[in-house]
Amino acid sequence: MHPIINYFVHQGVPLETVILILMFPIIATIIAFFRQVFGIKAFGIYTPMIVTLAFMAMRINNNNGFSGVKYGTIIFISVIIAGMIARYLLKKLRLLYLPRVAITLTIVSFAILAILVFGGSLQRTGLASVSIFPLLIMIAIVEKFVATQIEKGNRTAVLLALETLMISLVCFYLVGLNIIINMIIYHPWVVLLTIPINFFLGKWTGLRFSEYYRFREVFKGM
Amino acid sequence: MFRFIKNSRKILGMNSRNLKYIRPNNRKKAIRLADDKILSKRVLKKGGIPVPDLLAKISSHKELDNFDWSKLPSGFALKPNRGLGGEGILVVYGRKKGWDDAWVKADGSIITIEDIKNHIRNILDGNFSISGEGDIAFFEERLRLLKLFKTYAYKGIPDIRVIVFNKVPVMAMLRLPTKESGGKANLQQGGIGLGIDLATGVTTTAVQGKSKIVEYVPGTRLLLSGIKIPYWKDILELAVKAQEISGLGFLGADVAIDKEKGPVFVEINARAGLSIQIANLAGLRGRLERVEGLKIKTIKRGVRVGMDLFGGEIEEELEEISGRRVIGTVEKVKLIGKNGKEVEVEAKIDTGAMSTSIDVELARELGFEEALNYFEKIEFPQNFSREDAAKIEKELRKKYLTGHSDLDNINIVYSSHGVSIRPAIKINFIMDSLIIPASVNVIKREELKFQAIIGKRNLGRFLVDVNK
Repeated sequence: MHPIINYFVHQGVPLETVILILMFPIIATIIAFFRQVFGIKAFGIYTPMIVTLAFMAMRINNNNGFSGVKYGTIIFISVIIAGMIARYLLKKLRLLYLPRVAITLTIVSFAILAILVFGGSLQRTGLASVSIFPLLIMIAIVEKFVATQIEKGNRTAVLLALETLMISLVCFYLVGLNIIINMIIYHPWVVLLTIPINFFLGKWTGLRFSEYYRFREVFKGM
Repeated sequence: MFRFIKNSRKILGMNSRNLKYIRPNNRKKAIRLADDKILSKRVLKKGGIPVPDLLAKISSHKELDNFDWSKLPSGFALKPNRGLGGEGILVVYGRKKGWDDAWVKADGSIITIEDIKNHIRNILDGNFSISGEGDIAFFEERLRLLKLFKTYAYKGIPDIRVIVFNKVPVMAMLRLPTKESGGKANLQQGGIGLGIDLATGVTTTAVQGKSKIVEYVPGTRLLLSGIKIPYWKDILELAVKAQEISGLGFLGADVAIDKEKGPVFVEINARAGLSIQIANLAGLRGRLERVEGLKIKTIKRGVRVGMDLFGGEIEEELEEISGRRVIGTVEKVKLIGKNGKEVEVEAKIDTGAMSTSIDVELARELGFEEALNYFEKIEFPQNFSREDAAKIEKELRKKYLTGHSDLDNINIVYSSHGVSIRPAIKINFIMDSLIIPASVNVIKREELKFQAIIGKRNLGRFLVDVNK
């Protein structure tokens, strides 16, 4: 263990929290990389990050490796589906924004409760024992999702939600790798490398991978 | 592979647009102006740029409650002041007959005051605004569709997007609303974007939605390329002027054409989209780099540079592909008569006529006096039937063609004026610097606008562009 980490722990900060906090820059950099180089947008940087954390929290809570992700994904997808159903139901009513989000949240809450009860009835206790904090995070996605639905339409919202899920899963697996956890414990200064990497990303003017596809007809014409 | 990388540097992606063009060229103040439709409308109008009239605005729920609905005209557009990408715009075409509180939308559906009020409440709450904060709703005069666009546009007004950089228009596209896009000229929603040749204002290639290349208006055989946009130069000049006024170095100008007012400015955009490259099948970054650093003093000069640099390819391309010259429906023609006598006239290019003909007087001037006099002395049979015509023609040719060396042929011509027997003479003419040998009918055309018409037989080496 690196002396500085040792010092942190001795001051009473739990090791897990130290690792988690030092993971933030790495997750953020991965998300920035996905946006600038691949062109995968997701819901900004905050949402995929917090979903990643929710996945991690579920794992820690469950203490059984990667099964937390399974439940997390199930809940995430059901949140999105509930959001789509809510839109379908509320579309004709022409409600104002916040009441509309509130109703959507209600539907999502009931949906999650139903899933937990259903999981429990199948003796999937892992699902039911998911703590309240990650659940709240999942529900919070709903607002982002509804806002995107209104602004850019259902298709874009679903696409961005799936991109968010994808990035979050990738981030989750990466930061769960022992090699990275060990790196943080033994060489925490590596985290500082994210700054030059982001500097490079921030000056990157090349085409994104998705743009090679978007402009394929232009390439053909050249 | 090397070429691929080189080409990819000609295309403008999100990263380079934001970092190299928007960030350094569009200051915060200018962006704020562009994002505020009412303000930018006022500023543009003050600068002498035509904009749709502002009818009324509503900035609070209280104003909404006290709003006098009777002062609205029968047709109008309702817009959020800080809307994004055409969201939240409502257009009505007229009052519903027999109702005093309802209008009719583009798709024929009815919308009541209560519906409109609800829509305005959504706008006021900021549901369509860029920042999500509270917003202002405003009513604007509805533009009327230009006749030319009637067959192309589905229930909506097409608009023209021009990208201006450093006072030079660099790329443009015409956006057509379609059935798929629900009458909105928005590409993301299934509208059609047509690339435009900057020199001529004629449409070239077309894309529907995100990247589907199309040739015809969906469901028809109506060709999308070759539409000539009226007021083209004016539109480009307006766009450059708007750049000057707004202070946006990298500007996306949206101009629509009203039936009566001509070109009007709908919007200025600080964050011009990138799909214009697909519509034009050309890269924007390469063009921007060519224009960067040029010192352009006047608007006219900027437009000129844009037209020269990024236009004129259509004609050259066509001529290259077909090896044929592109001409208009009226062309200057130099006729070469006897003893090298040359006369230049304007000729009508008539693809409906088989052969070329010129006026009698013109033929005399060219030195065919003698041949014509000889022809006039011939006695022709009268009142023959159409069946006999071929036979008579044959006999006449046999009998008289040898009589004068300039007489090339004798033709019986059926036209809307009846039947006539005409002489034909051999003559060369020069059109668009090509020498065309022709056998030309000589007829009386003095009362007609053109002394000569060029028919199909002599047009084999040309393509006719009706817009030219």
